[in-house]
Amino acid sequence: MTQTNRLAGGLIDRSKTLTFSFNGRQFQGHPGDTLASALLANGQRLVGRSFKYHRPRGIFTAGSEEPNALVHLRAGNRQEPNSRATVVELFDGLRSTSQNHRGSLEFDFMATTDLLSRFLSAGFYYKTFMWPKSFWEKVYEPAIRNAAGLGRLSGEADADRYDKGYLHCDLLIIGAGPAGLAAALRAGRSKARVILADEDFRLGGRLNAETFEVDGAPGSEWATGAIAELAAMDNVRLMPRTTVYGAYDHGIYGAVERLTDHLAKADGGPRQTLWRVYSKRAVLAAGAIERPIAFANNDRPGVMLAGAVRAYANRWAVAPGRRVAIFTNNDDGWRTARDLVCRGVAIAAIVDCRDGRAPMSFPGTEVFMRSHVVDTAGRRGLTSVTLNGGRTIAADCLAVSGGWNPNVHLTCHHRGRPKWRPDIAAFVPGDDLPDGMRVTGAANGTLTLGAALAEGHTAAGVALADLGHAPIGGQPPRAEDEATAVSAFWHVGESGKRAWVDLQNDVTVKDIYLAHMEGYRSVEHLKRYTTLGMATDQGKTANVLALAVMAAATGRSIEETGTTIFRPPYTPVAIGAIAGRARGRHFRPTRLPPSHKWAEQQGATFTTAGAWLRAEMFPAAGETRGRQTTNREVAGTRASVGICDVSTLGKIDIQGRDAAAFLDKVYANGFASLAVGKVRYGLMLREDGMAMDDGTTARLGEHHYVMSTTTANAGGVLRHLEFCRQCLWPRLDVHVISVTDGWAQVSIAGPNARNLLRKIVDAEVDVSNDAFPYMACAEVSVCGGAPARLFRISFSGELAYEVAVPARYGESLTRILMAAGAEFGVVPYGTEALGVMRIEKGHAAGNELNGQTTAANLGLDRMVSGRKDCIGYTLSQRPALTDNDGLRLMGFRPVDRRKALTSGAHFIAAKRDATTANDEGWMSSVAFSPELGHSIGLGFIKRGHERVGEIVTAADPIRGDAIAVEIVSPNFIDPEGVRLRG
Amino acid sequence: MAEYRLTAVPPLGGYRETFDGLSLEERPDVAIVSVAVPEGGRSTLEKAMTAAYGASLPAAGRVTRSRDGRIRFLGMSADQFFALFDDPTADAVPVVAANLGDCGYFTMQSDNWVKLRLSGPRARERLALLCPIDLDPSAFPRDGVARTVIEHLGAVILPEGDGAYLLLSASSSADSFLDAVRTCLGRASTGLGLTATGQGGSSMET
Repeated sequence: MTQTNRLAGGLIDRSKTLTFSFNGRQFQGHPGDTLASALLANGQRLVGRSFKYHRPRGIFTAGSEEPNALVHLRAGNRQEPNSRATVVELFDGLRSTSQNHRGSLEFDFMATTDLLSRFLSAGFYYKTFMWPKSFWEKVYEPAIRNAAGLGRLSGEADADRYDKGYLHCDLLIIGAGPAGLAAALRAGRSKARVILADEDFRLGGRLNAETFEVDGAPGSEWATGAIAELAAMDNVRLMPRTTVYGAYDHGIYGAVERLTDHLAKADGGPRQTLWRVYSKRAVLAAGAIERPIAFANNDRPGVMLAGAVRAYANRWAVAPGRRVAIFTNNDDGWRTARDLVCRGVAIAAIVDCRDGRAPMSFPGTEVFMRSHVVDTAGRRGLTSVTLNGGRTIAADCLAVSGGWNPNVHLTCHHRGRPKWRPDIAAFVPGDDLPDGMRVTGAANGTLTLGAALAEGHTAAGVALADLGHAPIGGQPPRAEDEATAVSAFWHVGESGKRAWVDLQNDVTVKDIYLAHMEGYRSVEHLKRYTTLGMATDQGKTANVLALAVMAAATGRSIEETGTTIFRPPYTPVAIGAIAGRARGRHFRPTRLPPSHKWAEQQGATFTTAGAWLRAEMFPAAGETRGRQTTNREVAGTRASVGICDVSTLGKIDIQGRDAAAFLDKVYANGFASLAVGKVRYGLMLREDGMAMDDGTTARLGEHHYVMSTTTANAGGVLRHLEFCRQCLWPRLDVHVISVTDGWAQVSIAGPNARNLLRKIVDAEVDVSNDAFPYMACAEVSVCGGAPARLFRISFSGELAYEVAVPARYGESLTRILMAAGAEFGVVPYGTEALGVMRIEKGHAAGNELNGQTTAANLGLDRMVSGRKDCIGYTLSQRPALTDNDGLRLMGFRPVDRRKALTSGAHFIAAKRDATTANDEGWMSSVAFSPELGHSIGLGFIKRGHERVGEIVTAADPIRGDAIAVEIVSPNFIDPEGVRLRG
Repeated sequence: MAEYRLTAVPPLGGYRETFDGLSLEERPDVAIVSVAVPEGGRSTLEKAMTAAYGASLPAAGRVTRSRDGRIRFLGMSADQFFALFDDPTADAVPVVAANLGDCGYFTMQSDNWVKLRLSGPRARERLALLCPIDLDPSAFPRDGVARTVIEHLGAVILPEGDGAYLLLSASSSADSFLDAVRTCLGRASTGLGLTATGQGGSSMET
């Protein structure tokens, strides 16, 4: 027999039957069910175990605020832990299992922790397990973590796909209950661009759960009609199954749309889409969440919120129990009795803590005014409740209502503070809302239907008027305002037994008093000390109750006690949804130089430089170690000729009548005197006088330059130049634009570089030393008329050229150079060989230009011209930066040439201890020099230029090494520059 | 005369693919020249533009056309615009310079960008998954152009009418850009029960 608790009616599709499983048992339900409603329909009250004490737990709510009914959904690589059964849409074949127990759900071995509860109060782990100290990480914490917790990850890669996207609207309406629908109708009819989002799969909010009428029709029918009208509007986007989880700056909201969670198979489509919603205005109509009352053993399966019981009966046609007792402090709780009676469910008793007469009467139903439930019984599910007079009443469901809390979560995402409204005994949104947001309906504390509809209608009108739209007039939908009187009542104190406040984290009233006693009285401290309000539900049913208990303990008002800060996300968001499409190779973009495909074909290995993927080396057959390859590439280049793709270096086109003056200002050294057809090395300083970047700039015409930057700083330098020209010197006629990607640039280096170059340049191009000397540049043509730029510059220290062609020709140029260079034994070289040669030549690179070094440190202080002003000049002249005692970039070689230097080693004067106090600098770059046959290094050491020949220790405590090194010139190879000028 | 000849290879090798109604193709023949407006030279350039092309200087975010419709001028910032040639023009700088003389500063940009044309029904809807700007015609008119970001990559979006868009992004990251667009289209089409057909480019994520 199935669905024993199913009633007549409801908003489910009985024409279809769905089969699903829970802990391996097969059940049946219908489209329109949630997992929770289907479980209840089948009489399954026990659905999980509690976090700490492993107490039996059942379904507590009917929404996303659910603290108890967390399950593993699906299996294998699609398993989702901590899924709230109350919002899981039922589908055929759904597979779910309970979580957080050892053994079966019914016989959880870990339930023994409940027997030890007096030793496991809030913060127990701060006070116990103190000895021995080393046991904390190795024994205690793993044991506690193993015993506690919620769901488990599958450990497999998530097989689902996720997407992301962007939406724009005039008005974002969050929540499609009565207020949200009223707002959407008015905004939609006014032709505004509207997005209406709701976390539920059926729009309508509480109209689907209640029996109210709107405009003379049952609420759910009116909602269906309103939604149909909205769906027909081109200017309205309806987004069911969409949770707006965060309010961000400038009217931007985060939303996650569940596209295929409700389907047995996603069929390759994305499971969820994470939307960034740009709204001009937002109406928050997120409704309210009912709160419980704390009393002894109020956590048993069968104890539920009254509004949820009503929702299960009305929307899902499910009786959560056969004999339902009701415990309330407000009129709303009585409606539960009325609706259940109408549906033929027996009411065991109505217990109201308030004075006065009962608001309603039901023949044959016992009513207890000015009474409390003080205890419950039932091991795996409620069997009875005990009242303060000692009367015990048999019941298998207890519907509890402690009042309703407006759902203020999103109003607080910009640090807004809710304010207390004593008439409804609840916090409502404060005045400091996110820009552009209005709050309406129950979320605003307007807890009656007629008023909520009117307020939603008005909210849309105000928002549209703000935007200059003319909202249509008309009347809001009409409905009665139901009775909602409430008398604040939080905690039944008659029993010494545990009364739960936060069901998800097993926090009791006693825990809050303990926190108070131990000084954790701020709500933020209370949260951290007791874990109240943490985990998947973020205390949606617990927080205000806990604040009330704390307020009672401190003697302050609830308003004075305040709330914790609500932060995004409103409900849990899958990490996969946040990652979206950015998985695997899509995780980050990659930039490829023009010769990349060719390099791959040569079997090159690659390294990253920022976003670039650069060829690191080109191993030849038989080479098993990187150094073999690098040595061969260096030796081949220095002996004959090598080529290297240097397209990754930043290239910035600079034009304008004031371009020369501009360069004088941004470079430390002068550029005004640079002749057309010449290149000059330039050093750029930051405003604080530290070295920012270096490179060469070529003057191609009277008002036309092209600047090169380091690969890593290309974007930053362009940004800096734009800032300078737009903000600092807007009257200068100068324009900059990146051409990095537009030109493929290849370095041709080595004694045969000119010979190789001659084979590709067109006949009229004279590259002789006289016609095209060191540091010359020209716009030329190559390979029969292709436009090219030629620069005679050298990073390797060899005779070298860099030839640039439009990027579309880059791969072809590389292949041609390799073919044309065959007669010279041309070698391609990668970044490793490039690095070796630049260290041999003493050129600074990223390790030296690390943002902490000055021109003086780099030995370039004479480049900082005092004859002109430039960015960074003034602050570069600070005494501390010009101190002759400062660090200098020098070369280092091991005294014992067999030893290998290590970068990161610190220099210690001879015969001194390797201590911080004796630290004189550090080794920044090292390499094995195939030309010298030993290890060499560059590094910074105090007064280095005055200490050439001195032996110091390169101490490397991390690697446990200390090597005697000699301070030498950083120019290991050809210090006179004969080769590069040859 | 050198014995070698260079072969041009566009960033995506001439990629073209259809997604059951949505078409995505590389447009390597589109040439781009950046034109910077000299300080104090706006009116001079405006006159030269009018004389040479019968077009006004485009405001930032707007597009004007030459009188023969062959060249579109894309306002990229207050003092810079792109001249876009729809037909093959290998080196368009001399062409523009010949018409505008020294009234502006010209930079070849053709090779800086990979150029993808997305067309077909629901192209805008698909693009909304990739692009944070508002593509609704009320916010992004037919004569508009926008600089934006697509999957962490700088991009330019240019409506071409009939629901088609020309997408520009840096040529060095063309593969990543294509991956981003194809993945998005592939997923969207899968969600619609559609399948991708065609050739070129990198393989679809499976």
